[in-house]
Amino acid sequence: MTAVLLSAFHFYNASAADLTDEQLARISANCLTIKSSLNQLHASDALLRVNRGQIYESMGTKLMDSFNSRLGSNSLDNKGLTAVTDSYQTALTTFRNDYRTYEQQLAATIRIDCSTQPASFHDSLENARTKREKVHTDVLRLHQYIDDYRSTVNDFMLNFDRVTGSN
Amino acid sequence: MEEQPIVPTVAVATAATTDRKFRGFREEHRFLLLIIGTIIIAITLVIVSLVIYNVSGSAQLDLSRPGYTSVSNKVDRSTETTDYSSFGAVNKTTVKEFTTLYDERAKKAKAVDAFNGDPLNPEILEFGDPTTSAEQ
Repeated sequence: MTAVLLSAFHFYNASAADLTDEQLARISANCLTIKSSLNQLHASDALLRVNRGQIYESMGTKLMDSFNSRLGSNSLDNKGLTAVTDSYQTALTTFRNDYRTYEQQLAATIRIDCSTQPASFHDSLENARTKREKVHTDVLRLHQYIDDYRSTVNDFMLNFDRVTGSN
Repeated sequence: MEEQPIVPTVAVATAATTDRKFRGFREEHRFLLLIIGTIIIAITLVIVSLVIYNVSGSAQLDLSRPGYTSVSNKVDRSTETTDYSSFGAVNKTTVKEFTTLYDERAKKAKAVDAFNGDPLNPEILEFGDPTTSAEQ
């Protein structure tokens, strides 16, 4: 417990110490411009979340789940595909949660008055930056599962051809 | 024969009077109590729905919120929602149909490397340390 508190205190000091007086002054002076950029990013990321989310959702529910069900209803082995689909759905849930956390952090950063509180604004911004990187990692993981599912379908087809004896 | 509990007559009379007064008040202000009750229930339901709206992540998908009006008309509505049927035979043709549909959708999904880059970098937001950027 003490170690956690000490490390949190150290992190807070380190992040505050990273800022020079000149940087703090620049944040205060450019506060309006910075906030305008953040507002634009906030809106464009929301749009990206909606558009990407639709595609990722439909990949899972309308294609992967349906194909798995069809194989299952024909008594064919769909274990490998179901496993990839489960991992994909878990990654999708993580993406949704991480995006929500990021959006809330960015909104909180925008609410901070950077002209009077440049240090806390900077800390909050760094926090949002880390959370955005996490969302990007989630997106890459989803892309990886989309590829994995496709190769598992290929494996299934090879096996299916071998069992049914078709060319 | 059972013993009857001894209840003071004055206490019983006071309780009866209070009960009568309360009933009288309730009868007299029935409409007012109905309005207050309705308002309390409405406020409680609004609070519960707002909590659900924020916690469930629906707020993040709602582009009608203030600040998102500039992008709300840019939502991609062209995304086709072609389903692959969960029922039917499995053979080379049906699997081929699936893979064609899947490849097309996968291409769309991976076309954008969403949330890449580092737009929250102090250097990009133009308040980074100039000495650091000079060294890089």
